[in-house]
Amino acid sequence: MGTDEERAAEALRAAFARLAPQGSDAWNFLAAFTHLGDRYGPYHPGASALSDALERQGRAAGRPPGRLRGLRRGRERQAVEGAPSELDEAMGHVVEAFRFLSARVATLEARLADEDRPVEGAAWLVPARELGPWAGPVAAHLLARSPGGDLVHADCGGGDLLHVLAGRGAVAHGVEPRGAIALQTLERGCSVTIAEVSEYLAGRLEGSVGGIVLSGVVDRLPLHVLLPLLRECRRTLARSAPLVIVSEPEAAAASWEAPARDLTQGRPLHEATWELLLDRTGFVEVAPLPAGTGADGRFAVSAATPS
Amino acid sequence: MNGIHHFVPVLHRGDAVGRHTLRLRDATRTRGFRSEIYVDTVDAETAGEAVPVLSYPEAARRGDVVVYQFATASAMAPWLAGRPETLVVNYHNITPPELMAPWDNHLALGQLRAQGDLRLLAPRAALAVADSAYNEAHLAEVGFATTAVIPPSAALDAAMTTVDRGTAASAPPATGRGARWLAVGRVSPNKALESTVAALAVARAHGDPEATLHIIGKPATNSYVAALRRYVAELGLAGAVRFTGHASDATVASAYASADVLVVTSEHEGFCVPVVEAMSAGLPVVAFDQGAVPEVLGGAGVLVTDKDPYALAASIAAVLTDPPRRDAMTEIGRRRLAQLDLETAADRFVNLLAPLTEHAAARS
Repeated sequence: MGTDEERAAEALRAAFARLAPQGSDAWNFLAAFTHLGDRYGPYHPGASALSDALERQGRAAGRPPGRLRGLRRGRERQAVEGAPSELDEAMGHVVEAFRFLSARVATLEARLADEDRPVEGAAWLVPARELGPWAGPVAAHLLARSPGGDLVHADCGGGDLLHVLAGRGAVAHGVEPRGAIALQTLERGCSVTIAEVSEYLAGRLEGSVGGIVLSGVVDRLPLHVLLPLLRECRRTLARSAPLVIVSEPEAAAASWEAPARDLTQGRPLHEATWELLLDRTGFVEVAPLPAGTGADGRFAVSAATPS
Repeated sequence: MNGIHHFVPVLHRGDAVGRHTLRLRDATRTRGFRSEIYVDTVDAETAGEAVPVLSYPEAARRGDVVVYQFATASAMAPWLAGRPETLVVNYHNITPPELMAPWDNHLALGQLRAQGDLRLLAPRAALAVADSAYNEAHLAEVGFATTAVIPPSAALDAAMTTVDRGTAASAPPATGRGARWLAVGRVSPNKALESTVAALAVARAHGDPEATLHIIGKPATNSYVAALRRYVAELGLAGAVRFTGHASDATVASAYASADVLVVTSEHEGFCVPVVEAMSAGLPVVAFDQGAVPEVLGGAGVLVTDKDPYALAASIAAVLTDPPRRDAMTEIGRRRLAQLDLETAADRFVNLLAPLTEHAAARS
């Protein structure tokens, strides 16, 4: 198997692994308390004849109901055996529960940060658009302004920009949520992650990216998702690193199928709006980037992080 | 007459363990033993077939043998471990919790409890019967002293035995349509259906752009199914992958009849009933070399050792474009099926129990 296929296979595996939620919200908290000693989970009257019988026996013997019974048995055993102390064992359970809760809360917070929106703005509804002749000028701008580090293109599609950048000696990485296209790009030798760019950037360290190009993604995601995305770009870009927005005209969306038009933004933001948003997100040197003729209505806006 | 009674947490007529338990009960009665099925939770559909477990202490007789169908954690396990009757465990495997934990911690916790139950039962059981040698090895690891292997008696539903693939068994996929891949079983993380989906994406990109996948099975956990559906959409396969969910026996049989290949990419299988169904239907099998699959398949399919979507897609394409090879696999499958001898599995199980009843009677 060639290296490109190995990389593509790994990208396919990673694209699925990222979807694992690590447990439901309800269970994360429920489990912490089942760890406190209730062997068969929370007691649901009527669900199990044996559990009902044990519960009745426990009440008749004056034992506390449900999950605390395990602790009570522990205390009775300790009274006979002497060690460890009642307090030690009880606190051990409590500490274990809090450690467990802490880990789960951290996981939930991380998940909330890039909350999944499986339909709204979904990439697979919208055909990928290539940068085509715009790839050269955009690459030239990135290479001239980047302080170093890898360059990221989302949605990279077939990888036009990645190839131009690689041809000029840069380390370029694509992010493409449409797996079928990403697979082709990977097999062409490009480095691509199959994911939404916000998911990808969430895994990057602060100040670790040398430049970012957002194309396609900016025309399909709603505003309330685009604003956190700009903040994430700001966080991950190195100082003085360039960000380029490439947007399609509204006419480009006219050929989309009805679900795509309904469930994506479908009305690209104006150039002046992008300039405003970039400025308010803390970017500097915000200006139009003359990357093409503009005859097709496409435009680009460049910005940079402060030095 | 001694009693051989069967214990299962809940008796579902539609699941493999439920059907197996009913067959065992019938085979036990046919041999002249008193036999009931005791359940912890009564399912309305099988209420006439089952007896509440708490009535057993009054019905128990000296010399009884109790057979516990072990597939999940249940309060029944410690309850049976504490009873004086001769205990037999019929082990259907526990999915390793680590395969479930990223998707559903509740299920993972249940599997941890089940592992604890199994350890609890090991020193108490006079005999443990596994449905594969793979499962038997697990029983030995846990500490069961006396073990045997009998395949699940209900592995092949009646509807499956009547599947007629006609000439489809040796014919390549019809011109103008792509290969029809089939995956059957619970839609569960341990089945690793994402590997099948990824291989389908590769196959469609390289040589079979019209290939499709039909996934039949009840969801084990919503988080995994949601992720799988999103993955399918992200890979541009929304029109190529069909999810049927839980299906009737007739629907499953029909799917086997119209498919070109059964694909099994499970990370863990204690037996793998779909492999047996495919052999019965004369359908080629391409599977990851994992768990009990090689043992059950017995050479009647292709085992893929490299868990790579390119390798899997290439193996499937190789099988589908080589009719003589498919015919040979079908023939080996028929022989393997005869070797498993599922028709007599329940009787063979009772053969193992009968001496225990004599021993138990002598002891009492």
